[in-house]
Amino acid sequence: MGELAGHLALGFSTAFSIENLALCLVGCLVGTLVGVLPGVGPIATIAMLLPLTFQVEPTGALIMLAGIYYGAQYGGSTTAILINIPGEATSVVTTLDGHQMARRGQAGVALGVAALSSFFAGTVATVVIAALGAPLTKVALLFGPAEYFSLMVLGLGLAVVLARGSVIKAIAMILVGLLFSTVGTDLETGQERMTLGLPALSDGVDFAVLAMGLFGFAEILRNLDNPEARAVVKGSIGRLLPSLDDVKRCIGPVLRGTGLGAALGILPGNGAVLGPFASYTLEKKIADDPKRFGHGAIEGVAGPESANNAGAQTAFIPLLTLGIPPNAVMALMVGALTIHGVIPGPQVMTKHASLFWGMVASMWIGNLMLLVINLPLIGLWVRLLKVPYRLMFPAILVFCCIGIYSVNNTPADVMLTAFFGGFGYILYRFGFEPAPLLLGFVLGRLMEEKLRQALVISRGNLMVFVERPVSAVLLALAAVILVIAVLPAMRARREKAFQE
Amino acid sequence: MIKSPQDAAAGAFLLAIAGIALWLGADLPVGTVRQLGPGMFPRVLAILVGVVGVMIVIDAFLQSGEGLERWPLRAPLFILGAAIAFGFAVRPLGLIVAAPLVMLVGAFASPETRIREVLIFGGVMTVFCVGLFKYALGLPIPVAPWLIGY
Amino acid sequence: MLKKTFVGAVAALALWAGGAFAQAFPTKPVTVIVPFAAGGPTDVIARIVGEHMSKTLGQQLVIENVVGAGGTTGITRGAQATADGHTIMMGHMGTHGAAPAMYPNLKYDPTKDFAPIGLAAGTPILIVAKKDFQPKDLKEFVAYVKANATKINEAHAGIASVSHTTCLMLQHQLGVKLTEVAYRGTGPALNDLVGGQVDIMCDQIVNLVEQIKGGQIKAYAVATPERSPALPDVPTTKEAGLPDYQVSAWNALFAPKGTPAPVVAKLSDALSKALDDPATRKRLLDLGGVIPEGQQRGGTYLGTFVAQEVARWTPIIKAAGVVGQ
Repeated sequence: MGELAGHLALGFSTAFSIENLALCLVGCLVGTLVGVLPGVGPIATIAMLLPLTFQVEPTGALIMLAGIYYGAQYGGSTTAILINIPGEATSVVTTLDGHQMARRGQAGVALGVAALSSFFAGTVATVVIAALGAPLTKVALLFGPAEYFSLMVLGLGLAVVLARGSVIKAIAMILVGLLFSTVGTDLETGQERMTLGLPALSDGVDFAVLAMGLFGFAEILRNLDNPEARAVVKGSIGRLLPSLDDVKRCIGPVLRGTGLGAALGILPGNGAVLGPFASYTLEKKIADDPKRFGHGAIEGVAGPESANNAGAQTAFIPLLTLGIPPNAVMALMVGALTIHGVIPGPQVMTKHASLFWGMVASMWIGNLMLLVINLPLIGLWVRLLKVPYRLMFPAILVFCCIGIYSVNNTPADVMLTAFFGGFGYILYRFGFEPAPLLLGFVLGRLMEEKLRQALVISRGNLMVFVERPVSAVLLALAAVILVIAVLPAMRARREKAFQE
Repeated sequence: MIKSPQDAAAGAFLLAIAGIALWLGADLPVGTVRQLGPGMFPRVLAILVGVVGVMIVIDAFLQSGEGLERWPLRAPLFILGAAIAFGFAVRPLGLIVAAPLVMLVGAFASPETRIREVLIFGGVMTVFCVGLFKYALGLPIPVAPWLIGY
Repeated sequence: MLKKTFVGAVAALALWAGGAFAQAFPTKPVTVIVPFAAGGPTDVIARIVGEHMSKTLGQQLVIENVVGAGGTTGITRGAQATADGHTIMMGHMGTHGAAPAMYPNLKYDPTKDFAPIGLAAGTPILIVAKKDFQPKDLKEFVAYVKANATKINEAHAGIASVSHTTCLMLQHQLGVKLTEVAYRGTGPALNDLVGGQVDIMCDQIVNLVEQIKGGQIKAYAVATPERSPALPDVPTTKEAGLPDYQVSAWNALFAPKGTPAPVVAKLSDALSKALDDPATRKRLLDLGGVIPEGQQRGGTYLGTFVAQEVARWTPIIKAAGVVGQ
């Protein structure tokens, strides 16, 4: 305990230097900006800002880049709530209830709850990293391909629960998402799969392309279809901040979400993606009235948002302690550090103690800054909704186009996004929901990779998934969740069929 | 007969997706359990999508549901067309052409659009976007290669 | 008469412009296409060298990451860019060595479609294994791998990645065929190597150095003529008994074919200056990089080097039967 206090003291003394505070603020501001712009992800921005960090010493550079990263997470939730465009895979869940709240005139409350629960989760996650970072690394190493595959199966179970309407249609969307994830060059053999010979598809469909198509463009089309449905702020704006009653309702979801998110974030290979989905599922299952979910339930924003932010922070654990980046943004951080001659690895904690702990402390400071930046901004964001839609949609359109282009600097990506926009519009017309498709897509690629890796390593022994204890437990959990999710729907259907 | 036209069409749409996927992936080897081939996942998934599609079609005969409305074509045509135009314009002509182009073409998607308003707004947004994306964020996006060389 | 004068004037103008162009180059920021993800070794090297080259050239070098198909997507785009020196690219061992054999439909020829500028830093390849892998040194490793080839799982970072091709070369020289487990990138592959899920891996030193120092994986040898200052305890393949396994992931700058010679010379000079700059050198050496010296600098050497590399990799990849598209 004394050791922890000493470490944190070192960290805060590093992070509280004027220069580092300023860098943290710059990072948070840029991150928020980037997150709020649909389509422009943190990856392109961090890559572009790398040269700027040459002039700064490595701790400051890392603090700034980390600020961009979690600033973008905050900002991503803002667009998810206001205009139903998830900036990141992790804010897909926020669109479900957050945007519904906005439509009911509670945009301010939704944004406030998102900011507050993210801050709480960020605080807890900082302490978790400081206290348990090193020992938790071992947990990550327990996860081989077999365990990962089972975790992904569990994730698919969660995806079914996301469904607002028909369960079978949700399952169909998950499968289509999985199918889309197989497009592109096969990892093991290098063969092209279902790419139609298009170079833009040779590395598969980019998440941003799919998400901007299904949510960004298709959302515009939906709104143009029925002008009365987009009456986001035709009514009163309502309160800007959550009431005491709202806060009370959120305590449980936030605590559970933080725990889930923090635990999943530690896993390498982007386990953090699952956090918000898991949290949403849990809240929907234990709620007194699950029917409210999908129609603006505040718990459906608070839980996933805290899981999102907790996972985003604990994702630093594999990077800082093993030197292994769990996702693309973290890989960029590794690059930033290597440019400065600090190669992240198991010894960073001891060899670069002030960098490590300074970074940990700056995370908390950054989260505080984000709260301070974001709470006053809520009023501004909500007022933005008053811009007439005839001007709003061309603006969203141009931001999406530029954002998509900047992901890979490829014009073909913009055209592909248009294709998925049309596809998403057709899905909407047929009564399908896009969120399960996106989750299936995110999980699909990992799921196939891990299945094939596990089978290659075990020389084709299918029993490996049940013989390894962690994997077996995860599969059992997945089975339970599926039963819980599907059974009531089946029963309801049968009853309905009998009635008719 | 068909109690839910929307579901019937939805199921048929899934069947079409499954069919296209099976056709596109037809020449991919399935492999063995020990070494799954590149064709295994796509094929299994395509079949599952097809099965669910059939189930939804069957449902459409049993349970009543929503009908199919007329599909407006104006919005999809202009919105998606605008994005495609952006894709063609951005590298050769740069942001100062592509950005107003996408907004102008896209604006025709809505009957509420007022041309003069969009022209002014498009100009303002273009200046804003160039400043924001090129200069503030430093993204490597062409501004006007034919005019200033980058 | 008037027409003739006009044509003459235009020709003179063009000539003048051509001459002045080399003097004036660069007139705008130079785009460097890096065909790999930001943050990876090639990207990091491009950014480190690019920063110093910007100072020499007086224009910003803008890194543009164009990822895909083992780096060939970015290089294809670079090869087709306007040949005025304002678009250049960072090629490497894969895109300009292994790619022609790996991708039969490749849209460029590494030996013909480029104006070589010069080698930038390379990173040596290491042979590593999980920490409780039985063999003690490289000699034992060779014997063990030959005897137990069917049991061993080799991890690599995806088809056509450096870790994939360099391990193909190792297998080729040992005459074995190991079970290959493909991962998406070095990170996940390394994760499973540290966790002991897979047995061995070949990869660039910068990706592995801290895990080796931390004792989470073990290194058998470095495949360069001299030991790396980043890991002085790891023997070279020459010392440890596998002298033919010499491979490092080189990176080099190329301009599109047809770029005026004076422009290429100017870029080549700026690159060489960057590689002489003490601060830049220190950064490159810190990540285990090997800096080309003396006659290894410049475009002429790079041209012949690329031809040698293509000739060296083609039989290895053809023998392994790997075909991308």
